Amino acid sequence: MEGIVVQGLRKQFDPPRGPVAADDLSFDIREGEIFSLLGPNGAGKTTTISMLSCLLRPDVGDARVGGFSVTREPGKVKELIGVVPQDVALYEDLTGRENLLFWGRMYGLKGPRLTQRVDEVLELIGLVDRQKDRLGKYSGGMKRRVNIGAALLHNPRFLYLDEPTVGIDPQSRRSILDGVKDFKAAGVTVLYTTHYMEEAQELSDRIGILDKGKMIALGTKDELVHLVGEHTRIEVTLDREAQSLAAQWRDLPRVLDVSEPEDGRLWLLAEDANTLMPRLFEGARAAGARITEINLAEPNLETVFLHLTGRALRD
Amino acid sequence: MRRVWDIAMKELLQNRRDWLAPLFTLVLPAVFTAFLGLLIPSADEGESRLPLALADADGSPAAVRLVEGLRETPLLRLEPMTASEVDGAVQDQKVAAALIIPEGFGAAVEAGQPAALTFVGVQTSSGAQSVRQAVWSVLSGFNTATLAAKAAAGQVAAETGRPLDDTLLGSARSLVEASLAAPAATVRVTDARGSATLDAGSFDQSSTGSLVNWVFFSLLGVTANTVWERSRGLLRRMTAAGVRGSQIIGGKMLAMVILSFVQQLLLVLLGQFAFGVDYFSSPVALLVTMVSISMLAAAFGLLITSLFRSEQAVIATIIITALLLAALGGAWFPLEITGAGFSRVAHVLPSAWLMDSLHGITLQAWGVGDILRPMAVVWMWVVGLLAIAVWRFRPD
Ligand SMILES: Nc1ncnc2c1ncn2[C@@H]1O[C@H](COP(=O)(O)OP(=O)(O)OP(=O)(O)O)[C@@H](O)[C@H]1O
Ligand SMILES: [Mg+2]
Repeated sequence: MEGIVVQGLRKQFDPPRGPVAADDLSFDIREGEIFSLLGPNGAGKTTTISMLSCLLRPDVGDARVGGFSVTREPGKVKELIGVVPQDVALYEDLTGRENLLFWGRMYGLKGPRLTQRVDEVLELIGLVDRQKDRLGKYSGGMKRRVNIGAALLHNPRFLYLDEPTVGIDPQSRRSILDGVKDFKAAGVTVLYTTHYMEEAQELSDRIGILDKGKMIALGTKDELVHLVGEHTRIEVTLDREAQSLAAQWRDLPRVLDVSEPEDGRLWLLAEDANTLMPRLFEGARAAGARITEINLAEPNLETVFLHLTGRALRD
Repeated sequence: MRRVWDIAMKELLQNRRDWLAPLFTLVLPAVFTAFLGLLIPSADEGESRLPLALADADGSPAAVRLVEGLRETPLLRLEPMTASEVDGAVQDQKVAAALIIPEGFGAAVEAGQPAALTFVGVQTSSGAQSVRQAVWSVLSGFNTATLAAKAAAGQVAAETGRPLDDTLLGSARSLVEASLAAPAATVRVTDARGSATLDAGSFDQSSTGSLVNWVFFSLLGVTANTVWERSRGLLRRMTAAGVRGSQIIGGKMLAMVILSFVQQLLLVLLGQFAFGVDYFSSPVALLVTMVSISMLAAAFGLLITSLFRSEQAVIATIIITALLLAALGGAWFPLEITGAGFSRVAHVLPSAWLMDSLHGITLQAWGVGDILRPMAVVWMWVVGLLAIAVWRFRPD
């Protein structure tokens, strides 16, 4: 069966001078995979999801979801997809169960089928015990789980999750990430957006890196990391003079990138860690500083983003 | 259609959860109905009569008969005083007008000579003119009776040779007064609207007025909620689930109509059984009027949610609209007392026609045929408002 095929999507807000939130996007998502859109704030993740949910009309281009066009057959597309909005969109004055019942009805469920699905979803999101409490009394993580649950009631073939883990505790985040893997195991095709590279790395079969409305790289995690080349990432913690040393190290040969120091921590992307490391210690000693910690790591998506854009993913 | 119903039921559930809703929907309207009803003077209570200072310097039987006649006039309340006190009462505007019966009035009447009465109207009193007319009509009745009695007694004297003395005059007068009390021909003046309010008890006004005044307040919950839903992306989420804009509007509309209808029903029952207002002369006419009120309020509510994006703006606009429509449409005081010009202008507003219909039903037993014209005007408003509301509605 067909997954999602995106062909030349473009969207500009408030033309002619407004931001181009999606700039000629073309990619496809295969049936049954988890596909992540990774990008910083304002990259165009929500805009892309909105167009794929038929909530926003593209200026140019089209996309097919399960074989149906988002511009010409929005009714068909909406039946196939479950959309988890970025901001929790639920009723605070209704209970968790009442919220699910309502959204189930909005998806056209009724009767015994509705109550059965609500029971199943409550089980899935682990809120059977709290189902009779008003949503206003839930924690942020619990609300996020209901927010996801409301998009699952009609058993969608495609599930879009727009930054579902923003601002919640590690435990709830863990359960959401595990949940997403379960959806995939159950055969659901997942489109996941995030600006946490760890999440994209852990979950995704393939990742698209989005920046300023453009898809700047796309592939599996390994493919993306290869874009950076055979490089090593050196993480350094200094007790002082991090700023000036970072500036100094940028000029060293075979150093490709140096991050902005944060609380004395910074990282470098280098071609040959073995010859570089002694020079780092020397430099620190000369500046009257001490390296308190040093780690070597494979490059990750953060490095890829920096490499491609010259900016950090989170700024 | 199913989703329309589901959305409406969700609104009602949320409304039940909101403890402010019953306050605005029921408690305040009931309190105000009672409060305003006690405040507005009823036409058949003494307070609404116009005070007339009366100085009888004569005291003759003729003067006493004139005073009796004045006392029986429903419009007047007599304040007996001496001639020297009259000036003070008029100056202090304690009375609307004054009438002095001079010494020798009785003798002049007996002799068939002109007798002068002094009438002083208070310039600033809006009632002075009415008092003057009332006094004049009593006087002309008094004159008629006196002349008729004289003529009859004279006739009897001429035909029977009986002397034209006090006894004969007295019995002629009693005969004339008896027949005047049960007149041969009567004219009852009923003016379509004027008489309605003239007869209206205070609760007839305050109870019907509260229906129109408070109907918008029952919708505060749904309208504010709709704006909140839009700003928090819930309307958008409904759209993502495949719900159409028209279904969202339909659900909201249905919820508003149900809520405002229940409110009206309770206020009508309260008016009928606690305040003695006669609502049920024509249940069908009442039902049509109530549904029209609900539809009008819901149409206004929807339009306002379509036009404004913040909860504060919506609540403020609803309250202002409600108060303007109610005040100018005659829900606070009868439009009849404002004069024809104002009333005509106010009948641009649907609320004025609703009040006409409610007054007609409660005071003049209007049936379905009578309310068709006012309801036609109201429904033109409903259709117009709804058209704009649907046209401007955006889920995000
Ligand atoms: N309704 C709108 N009107 C005008 N501009 C908009 C609108 N929605 C988004 N934008 C702009 O489009 C660009 C992309 O926004 P979008 O919300 O898609 O980013 P995002 O990747 O989802 O960001 P975030 O991680 O902050 O959610 C931004 O520059 C944003 O300011
Ligand atoms: Mg976003």
